Amino acid sequence: MTAALTMRGVRYRYPDTTDYVLDGIDIVVQPGEWLGVVGATNAGKSTFCYAAMGLATEFFHGRLIGEIEVLGTEVRRQTVIERSTRVGMLFQNPFTQVSGARERVDDEVAFGPENHGLEPALVKARVAEALQQVGLSELRDRHPLDLSGGQLQRLALASLLAMHPELLLLDEPTSQLDPGGTKELFEALSRLHAAGVTIVMVEQKLEAVAELCDRVVALAQGRILADGTPARVFNDAAVQQQVGAPIYVRLAESVGLPSPWPTTFETAVRAFNA
Amino acid sequence: MPDLRLEQVTFAYPGDVRVFGPPGLTLELKAGATALVGENGAGKTTLTKLLNGLLRPTTGNIVVAGQPVAERTVAQMAALVGYAFQNPDDQLFQRTVYDEVAFGPRAMKRPAERVAVAVKNALERCGLSQEAKTHPHDLGLPDRKWVTIASALAAESPVVVLDEPTLGQDWAAKGRLKALVKSMVDSDRLVLIVTHDLDFVAEACSRTVVLTRGVIRYVGPTISAFADEGMIHEAGLDLPSTTRLGLALGFQPVPVGEGAFLRAIGSKR
Repeated sequence: MTAALTMRGVRYRYPDTTDYVLDGIDIVVQPGEWLGVVGATNAGKSTFCYAAMGLATEFFHGRLIGEIEVLGTEVRRQTVIERSTRVGMLFQNPFTQVSGARERVDDEVAFGPENHGLEPALVKARVAEALQQVGLSELRDRHPLDLSGGQLQRLALASLLAMHPELLLLDEPTSQLDPGGTKELFEALSRLHAAGVTIVMVEQKLEAVAELCDRVVALAQGRILADGTPARVFNDAAVQQQVGAPIYVRLAESVGLPSPWPTTFETAVRAFNA
Repeated sequence: MPDLRLEQVTFAYPGDVRVFGPPGLTLELKAGATALVGENGAGKTTLTKLLNGLLRPTTGNIVVAGQPVAERTVAQMAALVGYAFQNPDDQLFQRTVYDEVAFGPRAMKRPAERVAVAVKNALERCGLSQEAKTHPHDLGLPDRKWVTIASALAAESPVVVLDEPTLGQDWAAKGRLKALVKSMVDSDRLVLIVTHDLDFVAEACSRTVVLTRGVIRYVGPTISAFADEGMIHEAGLDLPSTTRLGLALGFQPVPVGEGAFLRAIGSKR
């Protein structure tokens, strides 16, 4: 089976800079995996997404060393536009994402499919499905810029989903959302995960990463500090120190429970009850 | 005293987009750290922009630190209310981090020496000392966010509004932010924190205001706010992790924050 994303010896630096923001990344993400990418500020998390989307080379330029394959194709052998039929990237700030050219929420979602030449009837069906997946069906006739930050984030996700992507690259998708919106977005992602979509998600909410992701990669200074199950990665002392861990880890450690410490709500309840 | 009073404040955006309808918001806050929480679109950011005159109420009165906002210009209010916007790019426009942070106190015509000390201090406490000469837009989002927080600090205003300060911040930065809020509270300032980060509220804010669709649903101690699980869920919010865990473990009273959780488990053992 072709990997969803492969990086071999990847180093990348932005133009006019000397430091490599990614500094030796080796990783293979299998189809259907939900990978959480965590790390301190400036660890290279967003750049990891830009590199996988091909934006690092095509938009920012800069210097890329090593190989990146996305769904079996070397990233430099395809344009971002070509890639965007199968790979969707959600930016941290949804204002960067909306086209600005469309005056209705549903037209905004239709933008991608229309530009890739889908038939009108199919576009319409895709738009309705995507809006429903993110819970925005009722706001379909609103102007995108009249939406709240959280609604705009979900609109940006709907625009990606309308393309039926096989791989989603999400850069802190819930950073603008309230608790209700966060829950809705994670539920939408869980359904996509169940349907086999590969998800690479940069996220600061470490509790959510531990609950949802199959696998976690912790980055520090552009390198992989740890890679494995959430339970394993968040019990790694270096990760705890440089990246942090779900709050349950800190509580269990403070109370003096024996390690490995719990990383999810359910395991925490069991550990503290024991 | 840095207090803050809203009396029957109503507000609508142009085009009659009503945020706060009659009878209007009535609210009184004193020095200390208060969280302002509620769903997206509840009116949190609108409320804070009424405090410094960026928006003007349709009806009602607002008094900040004894000054009636209606009779003051935005520039005059800037000396009373330091403000860190949710989106740093709405706020940052100087060429260096230093000039950005110095902009407020300079505009207030404070003596150069006092400005220098305030800026140095603010940069230090926000972890930006190394970035004084950097262009704000060369910084990542979390650091741009810190520049806005430093600007609010350097204004040395009795009231400080931080809109989503934990946005994009890592674990260590949240710890730094908590310490910063505490030190502002210790120097008797009123800190109003708009946030969705309820774990941060549990750690850093002794009082909480819950806003739902333009109506104040709760004002009071943070502990009592999260003890009312029904109200919290109705408001579209969630419990802090420590509270949720404490509930599942049957702790009484329900702990809010790490300290309270550890005390609760300590007394149980």
